[in-house]
Amino acid sequence: MADFAGVASRRPSLDPAGADRLSAWLRDYRTLPGIPDELFDATGRPRDYWLHFLGDLADYPAGQIKSRFNLATRHIRDTGVSYRIYGEESERTWPINPVPLILDQTEWAKISAAVEQRATLMEALLQDIYGEATLITEGALPAAALTGSPDFIRALRGVPPPGGRYLQLYAADLARGPDGRWWVLGDRTQAPSGAGYELENRLVLSRAYPNLYNAMNVERLAPFFDALRKGLASAAERKDPRICLLTPGPFSETYFEQAHLARYLGFLLVEGDDLVVRDGLVYVRTIAGLKRADVILRRVDADFVDPLELNSASQLGVPGLLEAIRGGGVAVLNMPGSGVLESKALLGFMPKLCRRLLGEELKMPNVATWWCGQAAEQALVRSRADLAIAPAFTVRQDGDPFSRPRLLADLTARERDAFFARLEDRPGDFVGQEVVRLSTMPVMREDRLEAAPFVLRVYAAATADGFRIMPGGFCRTSDELDVRAISMGEGARTADVWVIADRPVERVTLLANQDDVKVRRILGHLPSRAADNLFWLGRYLERAEATLRLVRSLCTSLMDAEAAVHGAGETLTKLQELLIAWKAMEADALGARALDAARTALLDADSTGSVVTLVRKARRTAASMRERLSADFWTLLGALENGLNAPGLKLTSEADALQQAESALQILAALSGLAQENMNRAAGWRFLDMGRRIERGVNTCRFTRTLAHAEATTDDLDLLLDLADSQITYRARYLVGLALTPVRDMVMLDPFNTRSVAFQVFTLRDHMNALPVLVDDGMMERPNRILRVLTTEIETALAADVDPDAMVRFEEALLSLSGAVADRYFLQGANAVPTIKLAGLA
Amino acid sequence: MIYGVRHRTTYGYESQVTFARCVLRLTPRSSATQTVLESSLTVTPEPSRAFQRAGPFGETTNTVVIETRHKALIIEAHSRVEVHTPPSRLDFGAPWEQVRARCLETADLGPGGPASFIYPSIRAPLVAEITEYARSSFPRGRGIVDAATDLMNRVRADFTYDPKATDVSTAPLQAFTARRGVCQDFAHIMICGLRGLGLPGRYVSGYLRTIPPPGRARLEGADATHAWVSLWCGEEAGWVGFDPTNAIQVQDDHIVLASGRDYSDVAPIDGIILAPGKQTLKVEVDVIPETGPAILRPAFGARSGLAGAGS
Repeated sequence: MADFAGVASRRPSLDPAGADRLSAWLRDYRTLPGIPDELFDATGRPRDYWLHFLGDLADYPAGQIKSRFNLATRHIRDTGVSYRIYGEESERTWPINPVPLILDQTEWAKISAAVEQRATLMEALLQDIYGEATLITEGALPAAALTGSPDFIRALRGVPPPGGRYLQLYAADLARGPDGRWWVLGDRTQAPSGAGYELENRLVLSRAYPNLYNAMNVERLAPFFDALRKGLASAAERKDPRICLLTPGPFSETYFEQAHLARYLGFLLVEGDDLVVRDGLVYVRTIAGLKRADVILRRVDADFVDPLELNSASQLGVPGLLEAIRGGGVAVLNMPGSGVLESKALLGFMPKLCRRLLGEELKMPNVATWWCGQAAEQALVRSRADLAIAPAFTVRQDGDPFSRPRLLADLTARERDAFFARLEDRPGDFVGQEVVRLSTMPVMREDRLEAAPFVLRVYAAATADGFRIMPGGFCRTSDELDVRAISMGEGARTADVWVIADRPVERVTLLANQDDVKVRRILGHLPSRAADNLFWLGRYLERAEATLRLVRSLCTSLMDAEAAVHGAGETLTKLQELLIAWKAMEADALGARALDAARTALLDADSTGSVVTLVRKARRTAASMRERLSADFWTLLGALENGLNAPGLKLTSEADALQQAESALQILAALSGLAQENMNRAAGWRFLDMGRRIERGVNTCRFTRTLAHAEATTDDLDLLLDLADSQITYRARYLVGLALTPVRDMVMLDPFNTRSVAFQVFTLRDHMNALPVLVDDGMMERPNRILRVLTTEIETALAADVDPDAMVRFEEALLSLSGAVADRYFLQGANAVPTIKLAGLA
Repeated sequence: MIYGVRHRTTYGYESQVTFARCVLRLTPRSSATQTVLESSLTVTPEPSRAFQRAGPFGETTNTVVIETRHKALIIEAHSRVEVHTPPSRLDFGAPWEQVRARCLETADLGPGGPASFIYPSIRAPLVAEITEYARSSFPRGRGIVDAATDLMNRVRADFTYDPKATDVSTAPLQAFTARRGVCQDFAHIMICGLRGLGLPGRYVSGYLRTIPPPGRARLEGADATHAWVSLWCGEEAGWVGFDPTNAIQVQDDHIVLASGRDYSDVAPIDGIILAPGKQTLKVEVDVIPETGPAILRPAFGARSGLAGAGS
């Protein structure tokens, strides 16, 4: 049993309150008999570095740990990698353990050496399997131990990997067994996930306890990621390569991790649609045309990367990508097909393969595994009731009870019979495995520490001088005390991993060496999809703002004591008609009480034009380009949605509704302020602003048509000035009161009024002039042509002539400009027509 | 027997197509069972890039890229193929369990070995119902060719040829439950049954001769592309062809185009185009034996106008 009494006394520097806290944490800490624990050594004494950590942690005054930790977590979670898109349950979030897994240098040196050896072995295996295949022809590895994997990519046999290697990033899942030794549970060779989560965990802990983090001399992660980036760059033919991270998209389980990594490493985050193969090279579709992609860091499963040669149902891939790889036109890492080594069928062969390929013994054993495709191994598995059984290959088969690992002992008699019958029919589909019992580490729950089983993922990045190991890793702990590896699943919590250096650590960040950096003003070219998303984000936000203004006017008109202020029923009806026209209200609700109308227009998630729906659309659009938005922007957008989504939010009076609308408008104002002041003026910002300008121009035309027609009342004109935010300017300029022509001039033609249609159109012209042209042949591109006509008309128009017909014409010109911008710059335009599969046929 | 084959596919598009990239599996390959005397491929409009190589299952693939604007794409393959009559193999082959064991031990990773064909694939997955159906043809110790012939005969007897019952994307279980389908469905069902028992079933696409021999009924699927099954029966016997649509062992009536794990590995044309709107499809196949009466009879795919799977 652990020696708790001795703990506090070994930290004489602790004040009594701190000592009490430490004792309280440890009071109920129970290690399991026969199971090693990270905090207490075999003799029941706490390890020095753990004591150092917990003692310093206990030094924080009561309550501070929790508040510091919560603050850091919230900040990272609000802005960081693991926010769920609304309604998407696929993104997994693991609560972070306030206590890291701590490993000392002696321990780490062993782990690091073993993972490096294993990564080297994996690379050598891939070189052989997809190359000469001597391992197979000479009988060291049965062909059928490979062919069952969906990641055995036959189409790439004999194709040397561009850049020379198969693996850029490898990870091993490790556990400490009952004898205290580390074991390899499995290999991750396809596209190891979790490195981005570890970055997040590190950010949280280093922010929560900065002093402690520095005092403990924890190995930094940045040099590893720098090596990863350099390794990828070295796979390219060109000196200054464009590196893309190919993601399956926002519906992928680990999308935000991918977005986070892309931003941290400075890679372009792309989906299959963003890439195109021409003449054996791969290009990114950008607003300036096609730009070469030199290296692709792949997070799409191999079978899905090329619908032309591999799984033809894939929507995630790039047609012709394999052809480009064959010609050496692009380096895709990890090379498609690398995932074949994740099969459990191979684990049993590893000791032999390591001796054969590297001439060494495995430095760290893997879990004893028997592939039932071999007669002797199958007989052994049949004879041992203490084993676990698992699928030999990563093939998903829905509804199959044996498609996940099971303990033989847990099977019912019927299941056992069914399993052994399956084993008879198809022995190659299964492996038997020794059951690994996991060691435990401290997890903080409430105000106590408890022992929890854990597994550790360790990463290796290929560099010019072999593999470099990340000093740390992605650690997952289980909430169950069942310490068998098989019941771990995906884990319940995650912990940062601190490797304690024995010499002072270098303070490195990802700041590149000064001499390596070429100074550039424009950061690459904006991908078409990102331009598309930014443009729509701008439009959604502006539409939400206009709807909020309508709602605000609806509420104020009724609350105002002087009934004259847009009091007349007709003006109110027009307001509601505007809301109905863009589907913020149902048509049959016309004439509803103002409060009901405001409530629907604000909060009704079922109406397609309500503020809450628009904000959600904005948020979703923003979510698929997270790497391009600042953390502040994202946080504000989240606050906007949460404000409208607050549980129990009820609007019981016009005043409530008004307040809701006002606070939403304030956030929107802050968002546009951020965009104006804090967004780089490269192309991305222009598309966001163009979306906003087009939407605002269209809305203003529409408001003016409805409220400033020939028979407009003063109430109508007054409301229009409210909606166009031009009251003050108007009153200052015209002392005579409201009159039709001056109002029209102010909202339509006045180039100095930032809300006028003219201002939007002139701003759009500036944007268009700053964007790249595709062909420099002196011909005007279509968006410019539309805009030129519109600009000229507005510049030369007289207010008296701007009748509703002219307003309709302006509105239509702006809408066709929107279409022309989409055609010219985005993927979905009519020229960049959809890619259709030719029907396969016989 | 020498055959002349013409296989012409015409796509019509609603609007102009500016870019197309296709992988074509329309060129037969010489093997132990056939010798390709001539073969040619014509694509209209003229591709800007075209190259030929061996596909992952040994088939000949042609990749073409078309950058000329077009509203119709015509792909026409011609070949002359001599098919060699393999010896009758009914009493051939080891007990089927031995073949199953050999598949797991094989040192052949390539398309000629059995290792790639024992595992489930996208279009021929493991289906418990079909495995149980197949099982009664495989009592302990039965010779593999004998057992597979029995399974083939049962599929022919129990299933109705019905081009309207299924389409090119029908899953095996659906056709199996309906007891109806065409050659593609029957081949997939038989492969699923074989794989359920751990045996290496391979999907073969190709052509069936046009002219019925005197005194015999005309074979279904004449003048269309055809699909059948090839089963690895051990090192000695090698691959043996079974045609469950017609309940015959494959002899000199069948011309092989490509083989793979299932239909998706051998689809004659895979491609993507940049185009809005609909497309139409017409397939014409002629198979003309050079010996014997040459009757030229243009024919259409079993589901003319659709992405048909042939017979």
